[in-house]
Amino acid sequence: MISITHFLIVSAIIFCIGVYAILAKRNAIMILVGIELMINASILNFVAFARYDSVNYGGQVFALFAIVLAAAAVAVGLAIILNVYRHYKTIDPKNINELKD
Amino acid sequence: MNELSPISPSVASLLVVLLPFLACVVQALLGRKSISGNISLIAIVSSALLSFFAVFLPVWGNSPMAERITWFTIGQTSFEVGLLLNNLTVLMQLIVCVVAVPVHIYSRYYMKGDSGIHRYWMYLSLFCFAMLGLSISINLLQLYVFWELVGFASYLMIGFWFTRDAAVQANKKAFLINRIGDLGFLIGIALVYSHVGTLDIVALFDQTGRFVQGLTETGGLQVVQKDNTWVTLAGLAFFLGAMAKSAQFPLHVWLPDAMEGPTSVSSLIHAATMVAAGVFLLCTVFPLFNATSLLVITAIGTITALSGAVFALAQYDIKKILAFSTISQLGFMIVGVGIGAWDTALFHLATHAFFKCLLFLAAGAVIHEMAHFKAQTNLDFDPQDIRNMGGLRRYMPKTYVCMSIAALALAGFPLTSGYLSKDSIVVSAYEWASTAGGFYFVIPVTLIIVSLLTAFYIGRLIFKTFFGSFAMQSSVTAHNRPHEAPAGMWWPMSVLSICCFFPVFGLHPLAYHQTWIIQTFHARPGFTEQETAHLIIPIVLTVGTLLALLLGWFWYVKNRYPISQQNRWIRFANRQGYLNEFNELVFIKGTVGLSRLLYAFDRHVVDGATKLFTWTTQQLARLIHWFDANIVDGIVNWIANGTYYMGHLVRQVQNGQLQNYLGFALTIVILGILYLIIK
Repeated sequence: MISITHFLIVSAIIFCIGVYAILAKRNAIMILVGIELMINASILNFVAFARYDSVNYGGQVFALFAIVLAAAAVAVGLAIILNVYRHYKTIDPKNINELKD
Repeated sequence: MNELSPISPSVASLLVVLLPFLACVVQALLGRKSISGNISLIAIVSSALLSFFAVFLPVWGNSPMAERITWFTIGQTSFEVGLLLNNLTVLMQLIVCVVAVPVHIYSRYYMKGDSGIHRYWMYLSLFCFAMLGLSISINLLQLYVFWELVGFASYLMIGFWFTRDAAVQANKKAFLINRIGDLGFLIGIALVYSHVGTLDIVALFDQTGRFVQGLTETGGLQVVQKDNTWVTLAGLAFFLGAMAKSAQFPLHVWLPDAMEGPTSVSSLIHAATMVAAGVFLLCTVFPLFNATSLLVITAIGTITALSGAVFALAQYDIKKILAFSTISQLGFMIVGVGIGAWDTALFHLATHAFFKCLLFLAAGAVIHEMAHFKAQTNLDFDPQDIRNMGGLRRYMPKTYVCMSIAALALAGFPLTSGYLSKDSIVVSAYEWASTAGGFYFVIPVTLIIVSLLTAFYIGRLIFKTFFGSFAMQSSVTAHNRPHEAPAGMWWPMSVLSICCFFPVFGLHPLAYHQTWIIQTFHARPGFTEQETAHLIIPIVLTVGTLLALLLGWFWYVKNRYPISQQNRWIRFANRQGYLNEFNELVFIKGTVGLSRLLYAFDRHVVDGATKLFTWTTQQLARLIHWFDANIVDGIVNWIANGTYYMGHLVRQVQNGQLQNYLGFALTIVILGILYLIIK
């Protein structure tokens, strides 16, 4: 029997992989991928918890919105990365450190 | 009383003083352009004429006159300057003028061709101004100012040939020794002023003055008690001033050295007038002296008279003989003051001024001609040494006659003025001693011995200079021989030699009581007159003088000189009793030694203490510096560095790496969650 706990565990694993990608990857596109993973982990949680809302299907609806929003965010993110590349000639976040003191 | 002149005696005496001053100023302004000395000569001749006709004749024997103007005021006290014309001051002024005129004329010839002659006339006029001013000062402070001025003029004149080392040493010596005396004078003035409150000579020493009568009826002032200690001290202080100026033992050492100045100056300043200023001062302040100070004055005067005469015996320099003779005669005058018969002292001052001035002028003529002879023959000898002279009466008969007259007056020969004045002192001293009795007879006896010594040494001078054979006879040729002095030099001498005879001073040739000076002053000393003394003493003196001259004649003219030159006593007298050596040893070496000691003290103790203090301060400063650099700055720096490293540590976080930021954020969130879980 697959319980909600299994969903949550998978979701947490995916989220952690996303966090790892964001923190450790040396490529901005991979960070964007990490963000997508985290969004998808949260969508999985929506869907998993939607099982207990069988009247309105709020979780599924919210998941659909989130998928659209994620696609839009990815488009914006890629555009930013493209501009960053043009400006810095690199997309390695280590080299983009103008925020330091 | 004033029918002889149209101007008042006060104005006239002021002119007498100011004319030489004017001459001095004009001469100073003209400088080298005026070398004839006419300015000074005109000034002094006018002064002399004014002094005699417009001052001396109206005032002499009449009541004193005084003029005062306020000089300056301090608080309630006014100081006055002015003129005091009484018998004493007008006599002194007249003597100065009358002696100064022949000296001025003589100087024109004596100083002819000297490169510094313009200075000579300036100094001579300065001296005349100061001396004339001194004689008529009404105020002790004013007197002191002129006293210093005559000392300064004397200093300038002694050092007139300032390129000679001896002259410079001599004027320094004269200046220093006169400082000692001036200090005494100043102390005397201060004592009188602090106790009596005035320095006016009339108010102090006149017949109605504080020291004589006081003004008990009108002002309620008391007569000063003569037995007070301060009166004795003041008297001795004034006497100290007179001792230095009048060359009294042991402060006489400057006068023989002062002969480094021109001879004409020696005759005026160091024989006739300035050195008599001390005697004049003592006569002026005479009422101040009490029995103690008078006894000291008498004793010092006697010692001076004796030592001067003894030292004169063995001198070879013609001017030094005369210098010691002056010292000895000044001793006589001081004795005259000391025994209370200051009129005799003043009388001797007057006669001495003439014959001693004449002696110096004649000696100057001899030196002048000897120096000429030396220059002509190119010989090397001292023109002032009497051993190089002899037989000069054949070459300079007029000088010989003049000098012999003066020498007879000095020796106290009858019919001369010196006979009258010297006898007056010796007889008074005898009368004084017979009133006081006993031990006091030492003083008249000493004076008699000194008179005989005087006759001997002046005889020696005359015999060695003018008699016998000329020491340089081998160098004398038809062209190169000593000449008579020029007319301009022996005319003044002959005028002075007339003044060496008794009629100038009194009509009776043998009785000093009938001279006009003694009759006018008529001091009332506290002793009785003795008829026998008036008879015996002059006879003893005259016979003794003749014997002394005879002895001199045999010894020096007949060449029967019995004593070895190397005799210890002769050497003692020749070296002036080793007084200079004594002074050298005690005062100069002592002062130098003391200075060395003080220098060493200063160098080692005072400087050492300073250095130790400096060193200590330095070390302390170093310690404080170390503390400051290491502890105070250390704390501040440590705090600053700590803060910096803390900031640096945290600063590493702000590195611009977004991933790091996120990592930190995550860490904090996880920590927060852990916290919530654990709690």
